[in-house]
Amino acid sequence: MHKLTEMRKSILSVGLMAMAAAVISSCGGVRREPGRIYVPDMAYSRAVETYTDHSNLKQAGIYYDGTPVAGTIKRGGIGAFPLAKDQGTDTANYVASKQIANPLPPLNEKDMAEAKRLYNVNCGICHGEKLDGNGPLYNGGNGPYPIAPRNLVADPIVSKMPMGQMMYSVTYGKNLMGSYASQLSTKQRWMVIHYVKSMQPGGALPVQAAAATDTTKATK
Amino acid sequence: MNQPKSILRRSLSVCLVIFSLLFGNQLLAQEGKALFQTNCASCHALNKDLTGPALAGVETRGPWGDRKKLYAWIHNPSAFAKSDTYAADLLKKYSPVVMTAFPQLTEKEIDAIVDYINTPPPTPAPGAGAAAPAEPKDSSFLFGILAIVLGVVALILLQINSTLKKLSDEQAGIHRAEPVSFWKNKAYIATCIILLFLTGGYFLAQGAIGLGRQTKYQPEQPIYYSHKVHAGINQVNCLYCHGGAMEGKHANIPSVNVCMNCHAAINEYKGPELLREDGSKVDGTAEIQKLYKHAGWDPTAKKYTSEGEPIEWIKIHSLPDHVYFNHSQHVKAGGVQCQTCHGPIQEMGEVYQFSTLSMGWCINCHRETAVKFKDNGFYSMYEKFHNDIKSGKMDSVTVEKIGGTECQKCHY
Repeated sequence: MHKLTEMRKSILSVGLMAMAAAVISSCGGVRREPGRIYVPDMAYSRAVETYTDHSNLKQAGIYYDGTPVAGTIKRGGIGAFPLAKDQGTDTANYVASKQIANPLPPLNEKDMAEAKRLYNVNCGICHGEKLDGNGPLYNGGNGPYPIAPRNLVADPIVSKMPMGQMMYSVTYGKNLMGSYASQLSTKQRWMVIHYVKSMQPGGALPVQAAAATDTTKATK
Repeated sequence: MNQPKSILRRSLSVCLVIFSLLFGNQLLAQEGKALFQTNCASCHALNKDLTGPALAGVETRGPWGDRKKLYAWIHNPSAFAKSDTYAADLLKKYSPVVMTAFPQLTEKEIDAIVDYINTPPPTPAPGAGAAAPAEPKDSSFLFGILAIVLGVVALILLQINSTLKKLSDEQAGIHRAEPVSFWKNKAYIATCIILLFLTGGYFLAQGAIGLGRQTKYQPEQPIYYSHKVHAGINQVNCLYCHGGAMEGKHANIPSVNVCMNCHAAINEYKGPELLREDGSKVDGTAEIQKLYKHAGWDPTAKKYTSEGEPIEWIKIHSLPDHVYFNHSQHVKAGGVQCQTCHGPIQEMGEVYQFSTLSMGWCINCHRETAVKFKDNGFYSMYEKFHNDIKSGKMDSVTVEKIGGTECQKCHY
């Protein structure tokens, strides 16, 4: 009888200690596993979604091509840049791009603000929010970027460059600069170029905003 | 882990509401708080230097007593720092973090934020204050140990008690029936069952709630990509890589060509030492080499030599299929900062899931978030709310009021 209670006591304390250990181990550490879910058929999409393996779609009988049909323009968009990328050491299209005009009319204040935002997000990191070629990545030579990005306002190469040629560089990349065609739509790239041109000496100021479309403002 | 914090926050806000009701400046304080939380709170705390300095008593320091200077600073910190040595020193002290410019904040809004900052921390009012834990430290482990020790002591005492009773009974010559043995005693059995039921139920409920939630999930990625280095130290805008957040449902993981925009030139890592979560060192330069392999880039020849292959990043934040979430709705229309949901991403070496992404978490934000109507064409159809606010019928409009808790917004 006495022995039994002794034994029970020890079993009890061992059990309690095991529980405490389990609690401790579950608290600390890095969570490398996502954990479990219930009702997986509600959690995981049966349809093919973004970030799933797209490599075997054809084997599964799915013929999907995410690229738009050649020659089509999305609603509200504008036509693609008409020149192809120069191959090898050829510069024919780069030179020819000087003749391409910016298809967008001069920007109004609202569009200019959006163009500025796009510039600051995508270009400012190297070319600087002041367009002086001293963005945080270069930082006067102290940043990780090894070469000085082009000063877009003071450098006559850029300030005298026609918009079409700037578009060529933004679309296909130039020197160490990469292509921004995957990050900015054709329209957005032309908008950014309008913005850069407006910031250069003698640049055009934004035109007067069109009649207010904002109903909140209109009722004031 | 977030529970104590949210309790603290909730009770703080309760106190704040009571306080502001007392002094009749409810609108201003609430507005200031909302503005503070949306714009400042991801870097600034009131009483603690975090990414940015503590903001309590800001007006007693440096030039900030002068509102004009404060406006100028908030509207454009780096420009203001050029004309003011205190601000320049601040920038240097918190370098490389530079305070974000908030040109969209009007002077009135900044006043509201400062009013919120200056609102003295609510003295624990009877009732409301009781809920505010002074220490958000998790001490449940200590309590657990204490409970175990007490339990063992109680058992021992019970045994001693019964033995002593038996002895005294024998001495007094009282003859009692053999006591019911421990494992047959119904009181003991019932207590044990109830205890097991309660603890078991607690863990079962916690486990069930935790199913499908991935808070703190921090998988090891194929390449050690540090958001701290990119978004923190080098100040790459979140939208540079995740521009999809402004355009549509997905924020998008950038394709390798976006990495190569910079890494065609940046081929070595020279910044501060990088450590994995387990403490092992990371060779940044070697990680960049991994990127080149995926990109098919030959760093010596400085050109693409092979087809390359996509990097198979491991998805961290995932919502179940029956939940619809759209980034652009929140980022572009709602003006929500990335850090509001993703936490201090600019300080993360390895990214972890900051928020629970539970339904309660979503709903809670939708209930509390005041919609920014100013310069927001998306909401211009809600003229009624606008006019109601103007005529004083309402003081603010929550997301819930514009359909933010409609089932179909998320479940479709």
